[in-house]
Amino acid sequence: MSDMSDSSLIDELPGELLMWVLIISELLVFGAGLIAFMGVRLTDPAGFAEAQSHLHRTGAAFNTAVLVTSGFLAAQALHWRLAARRGAARLALIGAALLGVIFLVIKGVEYADKAAQGISYETHPFFLFYYLLTGFHAAHVLAGVGILLLVTWRDDPRNIEAGAQFWHMVDLVWIMLFPVIYLLG
Amino acid sequence: MVNNPLTRAWFALLGLSLGSAVLTMMPVPPAVMGGGILLLALVKARVILARYLDLAHSPSWLSGLTMVLSGFALVIFGLYLI
Repeated sequence: MSDMSDSSLIDELPGELLMWVLIISELLVFGAGLIAFMGVRLTDPAGFAEAQSHLHRTGAAFNTAVLVTSGFLAAQALHWRLAARRGAARLALIGAALLGVIFLVIKGVEYADKAAQGISYETHPFFLFYYLLTGFHAAHVLAGVGILLLVTWRDDPRNIEAGAQFWHMVDLVWIMLFPVIYLLG
Repeated sequence: MVNNPLTRAWFALLGLSLGSAVLTMMPVPPAVMGGGILLLALVKARVILARYLDLAHSPSWLSGLTMVLSGFALVIFGLYLI
C-alpha cells in the first residue's frame, strides 16, 4: 500500500523525475550559498551594507522582469507545441533564449562596471559571495540559453518540457538570489 | 489570452517584482522591508512552481516545496534581523 502511495506521489510530478532531482539539488546548493552569505554578513553588517550600495539594483530588478518574461515564453512554448502549433512554439523558445542573452548582457555590464570601480572578489567578502553566486547563476543562464536553442531544433514535446523546466529552475534561483544579494542590506 | 493561467502568472510576477521595487523606496523599518521583500519573493517562487513548472496539478509537491522555501526564507529573515 505504502509503495503504491509512493509511486503515485512520484508520478504526480510533471516531466522527468531526474529533472526534478536536478531542480531540487540546484535549489539546495544556491540556498546553502545564500544562507552562508547571510551568516558571514553577521561578522561585518556595516561593511556588507556599504559593499551592497555599489550594486546596480535597477539593472538587477530589470533582469528579474527579463527572466520571468523569458520563463513565460518557455512555458507557453510547451503549451503551443502540445497544441501542434510548432512554429509558434519555436518562436517562443527563440524569444526566451534571446531574453536570456539580454540578461547576460546586463550582467556583463554590471561586472564591467564593478571592474571599472576597481572592485574584485578580493575587495570584500561580500563581493566574493556576489561573484560566486551571481557568476554561478549566470553560468546556468548561459547553459539554459544553449538548452533552449537545442530544444528549438529538436522540438519533441518531452525535450521542450525538460528544457523549459531547466529554465524555470534558473528563474526560481534568481527570484531567491536577487532579494538576498541586492536588497537585504 | 489574459484568462490563460500562464499569462496571469506572468502579470502576477511582473506586479510582484514592481512591488518589491516600490517597497525598497518606502520609508519603513528595516525589519518590515526585509520581511516584505522576502514574502514577495516567496509568493513569486510559488507562482513559478505552480504555473511555470506546472505543480498546480501536483498539490502535494507544491505544498512541500513551498514549505521548504518558506523555511529558507525564515532562516534568511532570522539572519537578517540578528
